[in-house]
Amino acid sequence: MYFIQYYVLHITIRNIYLCIIMIAENTQTQMRKGILEYCVLLIISRGQIYASDIIAELKSARLLVVEGTLYPLLTRLKNNGLLSYNWIESTSGPPRKYYVLTEEGRSILNQLDGTWQELAYAINTSKKVADDQSNNNPINLTK
Amino acid sequence: MKKTLNINIGNSIIHIEEDAYEMLTVYLNEVKQHFAKNADDFEIVTDIENRIAEMFGEMLSEQQKQVVSIFDVQSVIRQMGSVKDFESSEEENPAEDYRTQSQAFNPVKKLYRDTDQAMIAGVCAGLGHYVAIDIRWIRLITFFTLFIGGAGVLAYIILWIMIPKAETKTEKMNMRGQETTLRGFANIHLDPLVQQSKGFLAEFFDVVGNFVKGTGKAIFKTIALLIIAAASFGLISLFITLIALMGIWDADVANYFPFNIINQEYFNPLAVSAFLVGAIPLIALILFSVRVAFSSRDINKTLSFVLLVIWLAGVAPLIFYITKISSEFKEGAEFSQVSELKPYQTYTLTVDRTRFFSREDSMRYSIDAENYRGRKILTDIDDEFKAPRNVRLWIEKSESGKISLSQNFKSRGRNFQTALKNAQNIHYDFLQTDSLINFNPMVQLNKDTRWRGQEVELTMKVPVGTFLNISEELGRYLNGPNYWDCGHGSHQGFTEWVMTEDGVKCRHEAPVKDTD
Repeated sequence: MYFIQYYVLHITIRNIYLCIIMIAENTQTQMRKGILEYCVLLIISRGQIYASDIIAELKSARLLVVEGTLYPLLTRLKNNGLLSYNWIESTSGPPRKYYVLTEEGRSILNQLDGTWQELAYAINTSKKVADDQSNNNPINLTK
Repeated sequence: MKKTLNINIGNSIIHIEEDAYEMLTVYLNEVKQHFAKNADDFEIVTDIENRIAEMFGEMLSEQQKQVVSIFDVQSVIRQMGSVKDFESSEEENPAEDYRTQSQAFNPVKKLYRDTDQAMIAGVCAGLGHYVAIDIRWIRLITFFTLFIGGAGVLAYIILWIMIPKAETKTEKMNMRGQETTLRGFANIHLDPLVQQSKGFLAEFFDVVGNFVKGTGKAIFKTIALLIIAAASFGLISLFITLIALMGIWDADVANYFPFNIINQEYFNPLAVSAFLVGAIPLIALILFSVRVAFSSRDINKTLSFVLLVIWLAGVAPLIFYITKISSEFKEGAEFSQVSELKPYQTYTLTVDRTRFFSREDSMRYSIDAENYRGRKILTDIDDEFKAPRNVRLWIEKSESGKISLSQNFKSRGRNFQTALKNAQNIHYDFLQTDSLINFNPMVQLNKDTRWRGQEVELTMKVPVGTFLNISEELGRYLNGPNYWDCGHGSHQGFTEWVMTEDGVKCRHEAPVKDTD
């Protein structure tokens, strides 16, 4: 009987643990997703750019793990009217799609800039409070 | 070596290896299925394909090669990300996602022959996959159908012809009812899948060949080893013979039949060419056996060609000299010599292996003439080897009452002159000591006289009523009555004969006439 109790307990603990991991992962992906869109718009805002170059920049920014994620994103942004593209002849191979920001895209980007400032402030403030607490009351932790 | 395909991806033409192509197809199908629920699926997939084409282009120019391999496809997929990676960035409800996915990937099971697990042609294994029963039970059932008038055999052959072989990985996955996804792809071990598709007959012989190879391999190897050993032994013997014939190792072979047919001046070229003609097939046999039994490596084409050329180079002089020597047997000549014998009532005829050495012989064996004079020396050379039997004896009735022995020397030659000369070169002797006549078993030839079918026909003429004791050994030289029919009268190796009006008769068969 003890064995069964232990087993049930074990399973329960494991499930709780898995839930926590999933929540963490979910939050991470949500955060990444939002930031990814913002970054893509930022990169494109500097001038017309080819998908591969966007990927290279995102990679150097350590934001994008796999390229395949970018294409649906670009298509969605284009369909929402934030982006458009031009076909430009390439020296090697077939013509390439070069993405540019539309007027709508630019205004959205400005809004996002504002949002990012707010978010950054929110996070910084939250962090600062947390840091202050842990720094000012070190005894609390030991108690 | 791998089969390659040409594909058009993102409007560029790419050479791609077959396995890489299959992997890429599976990947792109997955991607398509993933984005199928998206409104802009076509555009997204096109973008991805374009990007893949670009990556291939970069890889090929970077590595300076022409064909995309499976490793390139793997690294492209790694870079592009699998469908799982895409899922994490999707916004839709994951539960719904899963349902659509499972519908999309509902595996299709198809009937193929599984040649990977085949006993014969993979029919049973394929059926086993299809009906999801362990292959063993299918095989057992098949085995029992053999006893229903052999219906199983016919059914098996029909199924063999009708069911296609699972050749590609996709087909193999379909056969097992696995999802045609990259995950399913990974489940199939990377075996060499590129097998040339063959017709039924070719495959049948393959199967028979494999069966023989599998069961009889040990026997096969043993036989091959025996062949190699025998051929090597033959090769060594040939080599020793060549050395002996060339006179490098003095064995006096040139004076033995059949080597004494060959003219002295033809000897060395003929020996070399005969050696080549004999040895090269043996070498080829050894090489072939070694290849068949121990390695699958093909014999070098150049080597076999060189062997063939050398062999032909050996055959040509061989034929030349053989025709030349054959022409020396064209004409025949003979001459006779009659000697009278001292009369006796009873003669004893026997073969004498002891003989006086002739002048040539004594010189050949470097025997001092002083030492052997008046003495008989027993030859230990088995003369049978020196030439085919060349002494024949007839016993005939003498009409005149005189007792005589005629020797008829015969030989062949290029023309009558040489034939006669060859006949004159024959040395033959018999020796009469009172009533005992000793015949030499062989014709003697002068040293370095070539064998040209020399022989001597002896005809002994005795009057009616003369008794003859003929030794067993001489019986072999006797023409006319069969010596062995008179076996009853033999004592101490002699049989008794008598000359009658009808010719020579066994003494036991003619006593009635004797008393008359």
